[in-house]
Amino acid sequence: MSADVSDLSLVRRVQRGDKGAFDALVLKYQHKLVKLVMRYVRNPAEAEDIAQEAFIKAYRALPQFRGDSAFYTWLYRIAINTAKNAVVSRDRSPVEYDLDRSNTDESYDMQGRMKDSETPEGLVLTDEIRSTVNAAIDALPEDLRTAIVLRELEGLSYEEIAAAMACPVGTVRSRIFRAREAIDRRLREVFEGGLGRAEELG
Amino acid sequence: MNNEELDSQLSAMFDNELPPGECELLARRLSRDPDIKARWGRYAVIGAVIRAERGVALEGIVAGRVSAALSSEPALSVDAAQPSGSRIPYRWWQPIAGVGLAAGVAAVSILWLRSQALPGGPGAVAPAFVVRTAALAAPAAQALQNAISPAPDSFVVPPVSQRSTMMVPATELADYVVAHSAFSWPVSRGNLLSALMVNEPGTSSTPARSEQPASGVQGNAIQNPK
Repeated sequence: MSADVSDLSLVRRVQRGDKGAFDALVLKYQHKLVKLVMRYVRNPAEAEDIAQEAFIKAYRALPQFRGDSAFYTWLYRIAINTAKNAVVSRDRSPVEYDLDRSNTDESYDMQGRMKDSETPEGLVLTDEIRSTVNAAIDALPEDLRTAIVLRELEGLSYEEIAAAMACPVGTVRSRIFRAREAIDRRLREVFEGGLGRAEELG
Repeated sequence: MNNEELDSQLSAMFDNELPPGECELLARRLSRDPDIKARWGRYAVIGAVIRAERGVALEGIVAGRVSAALSSEPALSVDAAQPSGSRIPYRWWQPIAGVGLAAGVAAVSILWLRSQALPGGPGAVAPAFVVRTAALAAPAAQALQNAISPAPDSFVVPPVSQRSTMMVPATELADYVVAHSAFSWPVSRGNLLSALMVNEPGTSSTPARSEQPASGVQGNAIQNPK
């Protein structure tokens, strides 16, 4: 199985003018990208800004993406360069942002606006999401939990998981799907009862 | 397709483990159906929590902002995208151009071969090489001949000639070619021989001599009776 076949399907749709397919790519990689950018900037709000900028740059550069490398590899490079440029320009900026940051609330950006993710509601929701998912994972049967953890934490392919768990690839696919479904049932309640931001994207 | 099968496909697609044919169909639904998209987003959240991505807003703040920012952007066009796997449009003139190119190469090759066959032309390099090789080997050969027999009845020819760079007489060369081209293509053999005969005055009617080309180590030399 090609390592990037699903992403490539979405990329081709974006290249043909389907913006909705790009939403799916952003939804899939936004957390990874923010985490990546946070190696360069400590402030989560700034990392989100840089990740946003990287996604927009990627969208604009997508006509030149030929699929020679995996989409995430390509996106990764854009994000790294965006983060490095942001750090350089911030260091050159006359605004004493870094100096102030240690003494002030990090929830404010350079214009003094509070980021959505840093609002009390956002923080509570994030904590609730995290605890809900963790509780759901703990409640999973052993084989489902092992399969989803090997996939998400270790990044193993279905074939590698099948070898590790001594079962067919089809069983691995089924186990991962059932694990996700079980967690998602609990998670959906949080999203629907919370801010419901994920649905806003549709 | 029932919902469970669809969700199973979505999960496999999220992991890049869905066959390409199924991906195309599901990608279309994913980009249009808000419920499927929301589920897709929650799959990403589950992964982020398992990887303990601390400091990351799990509600998908970035996705909402990117979507809003791109709403004013123009959609990408087919012309702008040039995927590597895309089909190259058919051009009717390409086969004709290919045939024309091949014919041109063939014509140039024939002309070049004919010019090679003419004495004094570029083809004179090869006999000159034979002469030079023979000349270099001449002292050793002479010493060997003297040791073996005082009156040798054959020798490696030609050691030195003052006539031209084409040292081998055309008739001898023609005989050599005839002896070596018994199985070559008749047309090319005729062209080469006729070129040789025409360019050597007074030799075209000379009967072929009963020389046998040297064999073994003297593959490039011609034995000449004294």
